[in-house]
Amino acid sequence: MGKRTIIPFGPQHPVLPEPIHLDLVVEDEKVVEAIPSIGFIHRGLEKLVEKKEYTEMVYVIERICGICSFGHGWGACASMEGAMGVEVPERADYLRTIWHELGRIHSHLLWLGLLADGFGFESLFMHCWRVRETILDIFENTTGGRVIFSVCKVGGVRKDIDNKTLREMVKTLRTLEKEIKKLTDVFLDDSSVKSRLCGIGVLSKQDAIDLCAVGPMARASGVAQDMRLNGHGKYLELGFEPIVETAGDCYARSKVRIREVFQSIDLIEKAVDAIPDGDIAVPVKGNVDGEYFIRLEQPRGEAVYYAKGQGTKFLERMRVRTPTNANIPAMVKTLQGCDLADVPMLVLTIDPCISCTER
Amino acid sequence: MTDKKYAVQDFVAVEPSDLLAVVRDLKGEGYRLVQICGTLKENGIEVMYSFDKDHVAKNLKVLLPQEESIESISGEYWPAFVYENEVHDLFGITFKHLALDFGGKFYKVTEPTPWNPKK
Amino acid sequence: MAIFKIGKVVLGSLFKKPATLMYPVVPRQWQERTRGHISIVEADCILCGICVKRCPTHAITVDKPGRTWTIERMDCVQCGSCAENCPKKCLTMEQQYSAPNTVKTVDVHHIPAPAAAEKKAAPAAPGSKLECDLETCIYCGICAKNCPSDALFVDRKEKVWKVDHDACTQCGICVEKCPKDSLSFK
Repeated sequence: MGKRTIIPFGPQHPVLPEPIHLDLVVEDEKVVEAIPSIGFIHRGLEKLVEKKEYTEMVYVIERICGICSFGHGWGACASMEGAMGVEVPERADYLRTIWHELGRIHSHLLWLGLLADGFGFESLFMHCWRVRETILDIFENTTGGRVIFSVCKVGGVRKDIDNKTLREMVKTLRTLEKEIKKLTDVFLDDSSVKSRLCGIGVLSKQDAIDLCAVGPMARASGVAQDMRLNGHGKYLELGFEPIVETAGDCYARSKVRIREVFQSIDLIEKAVDAIPDGDIAVPVKGNVDGEYFIRLEQPRGEAVYYAKGQGTKFLERMRVRTPTNANIPAMVKTLQGCDLADVPMLVLTIDPCISCTER
Repeated sequence: MTDKKYAVQDFVAVEPSDLLAVVRDLKGEGYRLVQICGTLKENGIEVMYSFDKDHVAKNLKVLLPQEESIESISGEYWPAFVYENEVHDLFGITFKHLALDFGGKFYKVTEPTPWNPKK
Repeated sequence: MAIFKIGKVVLGSLFKKPATLMYPVVPRQWQERTRGHISIVEADCILCGICVKRCPTHAITVDKPGRTWTIERMDCVQCGSCAENCPKKCLTMEQQYSAPNTVKTVDVHHIPAPAAAEKKAAPAAPGSKLECDLETCIYCGICAKNCPSDALFVDRKEKVWKVDHDACTQCGICVEKCPKDSLSFK
């Protein structure tokens, strides 16, 4: 039996986008156990319900995270609309779906870049982010902001996109698809990349179910679980099937996310063809009274939004549970038995968004 | 016609002593743990457990008077340690037999139990 | 064994122009809807204070006796709520971002007093309340429809006219819109 040492990983580490601390118990280059520790970026945003009215709470919840920002805005509005019994118009639902899918594309491209940086392939990282700039330009063109959009409100959306802009957007995305294909071919076929990804961090199907994994982490292990099937947005009308792989290693998770990028581009084109004309918001008066629990599919997995009102303009509770929070036990399990050099890969493979985890 | 599974709102109130038995039944039926959260109310703290099966959610609500402790469900669902440590750090509820207990140091807050301040 | 799969992309980018912009030498091209900063047309402002209520970060302050409209540039999150809700549409969202600074920028705008001919639409003195002359009122409801704070309730059939004095911001839009000149601030 070799000697055990404890190596602290994080919170400052070149490969981590956000601070998380892991205590790695290492025995001769193999990690035996990993103990996570979070709390470096806890801002207590949910406690602001005591001070901000429910319409202003949407802006606070939107700013929990910069990558999954539209999903948070939609979830906060949807939970409050459900508690008040407000139906948004069809056009607003389609627009929200389109923006959410654009958010998914940009988040997965960001993650692919970080993964490439994690195993040292910097030029691939730069090219992925160069391609992502076009998506951010589309966001700025339609909502006014590149990262924080402020475009969802209780009752609908605040800005409309006219049909001509929508069709130009689809054309831009189709040209972009060819560029993305060149880069994802490198991820999936290049032998040096495959040697870093294949066979690392295998999560079996039973483990994924027992550890309550969500998102691409579960889908890459064969569990067909995608919150877009629960009927929110217009996904079921557009004909959506979740993408599932069975290998359960880092390569399978990359493949799931890459295929989701192409699926999102197809979904956006179908949504633009099907979008009806009409209002983009309904007027909402009164206060929130009642509770509502809704789940959305963020790029990283299933996110939960629970709003409870008490009849005044301040909510009683606004709970946001983000997917990285649910994937931390799965990450701790995959870290047991891996090599020390693979630890950055495994931490990045759950797509950690620690500012979402700690709010 | 689309199936609006997200609109199903299922909230059930459960006594603290019955919680573990109900959770064991849900585990046997194949439910997945979604989240655990706490809300501060005048007469105590309401802990809400959420479970999911086939994209339909089920919520259990347990009302705990102040300064009481409750049995942890991390024996059935190991990932519950993330949420139970968070509720312990923010509200001050003790969970008995927690599988991975950080002893109040999971979230590194400046004041203890900031969402349930001691008066 | 596939090697150098990225070769084509890298070789291609050797011969294309760079993807980065030589900022700040080359100025940035803003898009039409970019949310940069809030600007105000001082002549149209009536100091009603609705923008103060709608701002989620309390970045705007309105001083009615002193006739100033102040915005803290560093607190503003460029959400656009004030511009959407302004009854006189004197606030616009401009494209240029606020310049970075070492101190917190505060912009104070002085609102000129309205000319004597426009006394009808002038904001009321603080403490005065909206009143309706029920002899001339025809209960048409135009005042209630145009109230930005939803402070008025009018029922044509029952001949009811009610005002919620707590919600009223004394902006004066109802006084301006009333076809029978029945409304005034006393």
